[in-house]
Amino acid sequence: MAPTATPLYLAGAVRRLDRRLGSLARWAAPIAVALPLCLVAALLEGVHSGFPSNWVLGVPRWFDNLNNWVTANDESNFFLHSIVGGFGNLLNSATNDVVHFLHWLTWVGVLAISVAIAWLLGSWRTALFSAIMICSFGVLQIPNGGVNGISQMWPSAMTTLALMAVAIALSTIVGIPLGIASAVWPTVHKTLRPVLDLMQVLPAFAYLVPIVVLFSIGNPAGIVATFIYAVPPLVRYTELGIRSVPRDVIEAAEAFGSTRRQILRNVQLPLALQAIMLGLNQVIMMALSIVVIASLVGAGGLGDPVLSALQTEEIGEGVVAGFLIVFMAMWLDRTSAALGQRATRAGAHRQKLTRTQLAALWGGLIALVLVCRYGLGLGDWPAGWGFSLVDDATNALNWVTDHLVGVTTPISSFVTLHLLNPLQRWLTDVPWWLAAAIVGTIGWARGGWRRGVLLVGCVVLLGLMQAPNNYTFQNTVSYNFDAWADAMQTLSLILVALALDLIVGIPLGIAAYRWRVVDHGLRPVLDTLQTLPAFVYLIPMVALFGVGNVTGMAASLLYALPAAVRATTLGLRAVQRDVIEAGHAFGSTRWQLLFKVELPIARPYLMLAVNQTILLVMAEVVVAGLVGAGGLGLDVVTGFSRSEVGLGAAAGLAMVLMGIVLDRLSQSSPVRNPTRRSAT
Amino acid sequence: MKRRRTILLTGVLAVAAVAAIAAAVATSTAHAGKPTITLATNSWEGSLANNVVAQYVIEKDLGYNVNLLTIDEDPAWPAMAQGKVSAVLEEWGHSNLYAQYIKGNHKVVDAGLEGPDGNIGWYVPTYLVKAHPELKTWKGVKKDWKMFVTPQSSPQGQFLDGSPSYVTNDAALVKNLGLDLKVVFAGTEAAQLTEIEQDYKAKKPVLFYWYTPQYQNAIYKFSQVALPPWTTKCAKLKPAQINCAYPPYHLYKVMATNLSSQAPTVASFIKRFNWTSDDQNSVAYDLAVKHMSNTAAAQAFVNSHKSLVQSWLSGKSSKVEPPAPGT
Repeated sequence: MAPTATPLYLAGAVRRLDRRLGSLARWAAPIAVALPLCLVAALLEGVHSGFPSNWVLGVPRWFDNLNNWVTANDESNFFLHSIVGGFGNLLNSATNDVVHFLHWLTWVGVLAISVAIAWLLGSWRTALFSAIMICSFGVLQIPNGGVNGISQMWPSAMTTLALMAVAIALSTIVGIPLGIASAVWPTVHKTLRPVLDLMQVLPAFAYLVPIVVLFSIGNPAGIVATFIYAVPPLVRYTELGIRSVPRDVIEAAEAFGSTRRQILRNVQLPLALQAIMLGLNQVIMMALSIVVIASLVGAGGLGDPVLSALQTEEIGEGVVAGFLIVFMAMWLDRTSAALGQRATRAGAHRQKLTRTQLAALWGGLIALVLVCRYGLGLGDWPAGWGFSLVDDATNALNWVTDHLVGVTTPISSFVTLHLLNPLQRWLTDVPWWLAAAIVGTIGWARGGWRRGVLLVGCVVLLGLMQAPNNYTFQNTVSYNFDAWADAMQTLSLILVALALDLIVGIPLGIAAYRWRVVDHGLRPVLDTLQTLPAFVYLIPMVALFGVGNVTGMAASLLYALPAAVRATTLGLRAVQRDVIEAGHAFGSTRWQLLFKVELPIARPYLMLAVNQTILLVMAEVVVAGLVGAGGLGLDVVTGFSRSEVGLGAAAGLAMVLMGIVLDRLSQSSPVRNPTRRSAT
Repeated sequence: MKRRRTILLTGVLAVAAVAAIAAAVATSTAHAGKPTITLATNSWEGSLANNVVAQYVIEKDLGYNVNLLTIDEDPAWPAMAQGKVSAVLEEWGHSNLYAQYIKGNHKVVDAGLEGPDGNIGWYVPTYLVKAHPELKTWKGVKKDWKMFVTPQSSPQGQFLDGSPSYVTNDAALVKNLGLDLKVVFAGTEAAQLTEIEQDYKAKKPVLFYWYTPQYQNAIYKFSQVALPPWTTKCAKLKPAQINCAYPPYHLYKVMATNLSSQAPTVASFIKRFNWTSDDQNSVAYDLAVKHMSNTAAAQAFVNSHKSLVQSWLSGKSSKVEPPAPGT
């Protein structure tokens, strides 16, 4: 359903009637199939709530066996020892080299080179901004927060920077060729698409266990986790960029007798450069948003203090460390965005410096580094040049919680007792075949019978992920895993968080579209919400809302809110000017225009907003497991922290299946944003 | 235009090349010979207290660099087997991992007892026991379950568990003792403690999983709820059938098997390291409550316990006692 650009009201009425009839027809066939099937299922199965407990595939046992085999064979098996282990060592030594290099540069060198790059790519504003952000790594200190308990955060920031560099390099080396291959060969595209979908839906926690099993803990595991999480947008943007090169340009090149390879290298790739740079920017942002999770598998850096703050209740420490991550994200975002703008032809013409000047600049920088290193003997940021805001942050947050807790506790009880608990009970009571039928019907109506069948398959498979009653593995591991019930508990959180996100996010998006002030005011808030690790605000939220589902839901809600707001604004902005002017000509008021013209036309984007919000809420709902929201999130966290590999993996897969179902249900048209985050 | 980009690129490469050579020279001279020792810090403060003191002594008296790595209890074992972690100075139970890595593939060795005895159990704030003396045992909980109802656990009472990575039998206990409670995992110890603190401030009822040694016990007054006593018979039950209190934990140390060959003095030190709950709590308190730096807290302890530290450098190895089965 592509947006139509016809605002004529008369024709509109006829079309609307037509659409109503059309949509009725769309629903008729799936309902006609689903109803009798439901009756058969009800007769055969009976109306019992949930999923039959004796239908077991044994997925947890597969993974427990696999884990056992890997631990037993990691030294004797060639693949595990040489290939996986060798790759891990390569990543590790690359990271260590970059860390040493950054320390060798001295703090002056890091600052000067970063500022020079920011200035060359962007403007003096970008340069100044970068300088301030980089200085914050030195100025803001955390007592005991840094590497080996020092209070300077500079070394931690350099470690994170090095991890980012290696993860981004790996993503580029793998992602861009995959994107090109996917654009050139349709088979690659077809096989790659579901894999990328899977990577985007899969919560990072779910693959932490297998990664630790393969790579052990440390930097390599952190880099691989970051890579899996961050690479999909780059592949998608590269492919999109190459595909969207206009046909006539390619035909012109063909007319001049260029070969396919020449066209790709000389025409398509240069024209796709901006899209690729945008993808790279997304990779950087996503990689930074997973820094804390990478720390869970032993990668060092700025994630460590956030994590230890979560474990030892040092709220202020977590906040300061969290903001250091945000500052690094903002710095790298601005710089890489400037690189993206430069990649357009318009940007490339504006060269700041002549050849000699540029050479002189680099020469000067090298000289500066050498003087600082060997002449002045500088190293990391001087220990005395900084202060700690940790206690202030703690006090401020405590003050806020102490004053708000009287209001938030009743809200929390109300939401739990009257919204979450009933919804959860109701969802758990629904028999599995009814759930499958509903999901299948909607899927069919929205995306054809194939999608309906796929979704029914996913629903059934989700139930089959469960472990048998009193499951034990080799007398050492035993756990219960009722996939269906836990999934329904998680689903209730997702649905409430999604509803609240849309209720708050869409009006905010509209407001940002209508009033520039709102747009400008919201931007830094949304930027911060996107990159501030949720781990930072989990503990204050526990103080406000108590342990449990409400806190977990609120964390998901905050994390996904920017996507809802941005996709709405983006959609409204995409409405063509002439359509709006035509509306004006008919004498519509601003609000009439909004509700009758702009919002209906932006509908595909609003659906995209729903879709993106669901994916982000899902991504965060696992983290909610860390503050007492049960369900699949807790299973995944438990599986990871207790080495109950089968539980973690099966719960992760259940989550993926649920993600696929929710993603496909909320996706009607082929419009597909290439990223998990909104691309603004 | 193309040439300028080439120069930009050459510039970056030149800096990188010079740096790489310099870094290579620098690293090869800096860590000549001695391996870096990595101690695993688990998520409770006591674990950090052990490590900062050990780090201080190993660095100052034995001359090795020490790294502290934050990691959960279970993942630390495979990490030791792979040489990524040198030692863990406080293990609670983990008889399954003990069987796999110490008795099984011999990649980890038992370095003897740490000193403190661990005690896990059910606790309520002391003000609650004063008002309701029956809460001294689980039978009182059975009677008074209604006071522990929260929105999250409703309609049942709430039993507040901490991190899912800790050793717990609470779900089985609730079921097998016939209590009208629902086990709610706070997810992390910090979340659990935040919840307890909020209730403590408001003097509200709360029932939770807790343990000693724990420095927070110096700040808050908690009382233990007696569960049916632990017996060897109960220890043999399957996890889902457990109906008695947690066993006593004799906390012990473990280290990577190859540490003895790579850093023999450190391995001997770890085998000898042994102190009391009070020692650990005092360091943990300095770190967590007084916000002293790791080095300052360790230094303060070492300077006031000279003979104890000397016994870690030249005394006897601590007694080896494997964890009780099922713990």
